[in-house]
Amino acid sequence: CNRKSGYRCMSHVYMLDRDEVGRLPSQPILDDLSRCRVLSLANLFDRVIQHSARMHGISNDLHSEFEQYFVPSRNHVGRISRNCHTSNLLTPNGKENAQKIAVNLPLLPRGKDPLWHFHQITAHQHDLANFSSDKALEMSDMVHELRKGVEKVAEKMQTLGMISNSVGTLADFLPSESGGWRLMKDHELLYCFRRDSDKIKNYLKILKCRIVPEHGC
Amino acid sequence: MRNVQELTWLLLLVLTPRTKGGLSRPGKPTLTSCRSPEKETFTCWWQPASDGGLPTTYALYYRKENSEIMYECPDYFTGGENSCFFNKNNTSIWVNYNITVVATNRLGSTFSDSVDVDVVYIVQPNPPENVSLSVMEDKGWPFLRVAWAPPRKADTRSGWITLIYELRIRSEGENEWETHVAGQQKLFNIFSLRSGGLYLVQVRCKPDHGFWSDWSSPSQIRFPEYFHQEKSAWIVTTAVCAFIFLIITWLLHMNHGSLKHCLLPPVPGPKIKGFDEQLLKKGKSEDIFNALVVSDFPMSWSSSSNSEDLLVELLEVYIPEERENMLGASKDLGGGSFKLESSTSDSDSGRGSCDSRTLLIEKCGRPKEHEDSAEERVEREDWEDARVDTGGRTWPSVFPGLPDRPQRSLSDGLSQVLGPSEGQVCKQIKARSDINIAVSGHKESPARWSVEYVGVQTVVNDDMVILQPWGSREGCTPLHSLQERDYSQVKQVGSDDTLLLLQKVSEGTADGREAGNMSQKSATCMNSTTATGGYVDAAAAFPMTTY
Repeated sequence: CNRKSGYRCMSHVYMLDRDEVGRLPSQPILDDLSRCRVLSLANLFDRVIQHSARMHGISNDLHSEFEQYFVPSRNHVGRISRNCHTSNLLTPNGKENAQKIAVNLPLLPRGKDPLWHFHQITAHQHDLANFSSDKALEMSDMVHELRKGVEKVAEKMQTLGMISNSVGTLADFLPSESGGWRLMKDHELLYCFRRDSDKIKNYLKILKCRIVPEHGC
Repeated sequence: MRNVQELTWLLLLVLTPRTKGGLSRPGKPTLTSCRSPEKETFTCWWQPASDGGLPTTYALYYRKENSEIMYECPDYFTGGENSCFFNKNNTSIWVNYNITVVATNRLGSTFSDSVDVDVVYIVQPNPPENVSLSVMEDKGWPFLRVAWAPPRKADTRSGWITLIYELRIRSEGENEWETHVAGQQKLFNIFSLRSGGLYLVQVRCKPDHGFWSDWSSPSQIRFPEYFHQEKSAWIVTTAVCAFIFLIITWLLHMNHGSLKHCLLPPVPGPKIKGFDEQLLKKGKSEDIFNALVVSDFPMSWSSSSNSEDLLVELLEVYIPEERENMLGASKDLGGGSFKLESSTSDSDSGRGSCDSRTLLIEKCGRPKEHEDSAEERVEREDWEDARVDTGGRTWPSVFPGLPDRPQRSLSDGLSQVLGPSEGQVCKQIKARSDINIAVSGHKESPARWSVEYVGVQTVVNDDMVILQPWGSREGCTPLHSLQERDYSQVKQVGSDDTLLLLQKVSEGTADGREAGNMSQKSATCMNSTTATGGYVDAAAAFPMTTY
């Protein structure tokens, strides 16, 4: 079970769990189920955090390359008008707010979590793909995987009874219109994406230390 | 509102009259750095420029991202001089701050360049705290354990900030540090340190994206001595070396001789037979060279050579001592050209070896006139003096009696043959010293006496001799040639095993031939067997036997 299939393994495990509860599995049990070992929540968190760290690293590289080749003049004045559409989303005022956001991160409904927005960004920005196609594709895949990982964590937490299966109160964090992404320029896009990936990583770390406090916290 | 404020400032700047006398507006300040120790607060510092000679005040204004509101620095004191401290409430993470510093004096204001700051990327934590060093043991081997705590302000427990650590260590006498990366852990083990050494350790940390902290204050520790561990190794090593040394010594002692022989081989001495080093040291050359002479030289020769050798065996006449006396008397006759060979130990008579037959034949073939010339006498006497010796390859010469000495017994001329031995090249035939064969009454013609050499063909027994003249050594020759040759004739057979030979030049028939019943036979090789009495059939011109 590598990282990609790890989440699938987890899903099968969850299916098994649900079988024990009494529900019928929606997916057939695959052959590789026997090879999957049950991951602890801490281990799952570590994997997700590693994934997010890698995503942040790639986005950082992309932004640096973009600035190096396409922004010759270091004119910071132009940055004032930068406006990341996700700035309202998940932007804490301080550490306490960030911790609140982090705790509520798994509760965000599907399609409305910030990672879903990431996916939208990388999927529809062709200019970004033209700039650095391999990195953009990798980032797109990574966002996708990260989303799934976070979902698995949420599912695990739900099975463990840590969080209730309720719709989160973070709906106001969602952007009013998703079409605003297309108005962003490439440079701003990369900048915003880099920052948001760092946020996600930080939130996951906070969540891990909250849920499974052990070494490293 | 903010723009109006800015505009006011600009107007003031422009409309302010400039006074002369070295006073001017303040210089342009610069923001040197902004740092956040825990990602919750941050501080910015600026560098003031010239104040223009007037009291100057500084102000810091900032603007957050996506907002046009200009705020002034809330705290100018906490961070020290020329600083601005942003507390927790004023700090937003993942937000761009646009910061500007303004220097103002009576004459005007000067704005610095704006700087964009995101708190996440300016984190520089404090150094780690509570660095502790302790010596621990692992299976008898000690090692150093370094432990520390994160800086107090950094919140690593909630995962808000993640720090990675690094430590360095050096010995007291060294100048270079040895750096180790510890990752996120808060303790580190260092092995293979020198026993009894004093060590200094320092630790620092860094967040994910940020700057390294300063090194913590050095912590000292003295590593304990652990000689007992090393001592045992030394003892074992010394014991093994001593053991090997003993073995080598014993081997050398056992093989002392052969080793010495191998390393220092003995110098080979001279391998000359009869060479005596003592004689050489004495320095007598005569003795040395005499010693070199092999005493039993003919014997050795006989032992090695074949009896079938084709080398001729000759008889050599030995002149007894009376002869020498006569010679001594006749010395007065000749001059200095005498050649007396009276040395008893003339190993090589010098008259040539067996090989130089020509020399002798010349001498022999010359008819000897009975002349009273001194030369001839000298010659005869020379010949008479020829004698065989034990050591030399000489040939016997049969001397007939000299005409001037008719009374000379043939025994004088008869060679004292030495002991024969078979298979010898030039056999030395031994004869009885008491040979005294008297010459019979027959007297040969004095003028016809000549010296002829007879070759001993074989020696039958110790006392018998088969002779043949020189010319017929190859074998039998026809009688007619025989007749023309000189041959020896048996004159008389002695009482016991003796043989009296007579030699004269033949003129077809030999005078005084007396063969008894013998008659001249055809020229065939007569296998005349010799009786044990030594009688030789003298019917033939010469006794010859073929084997």
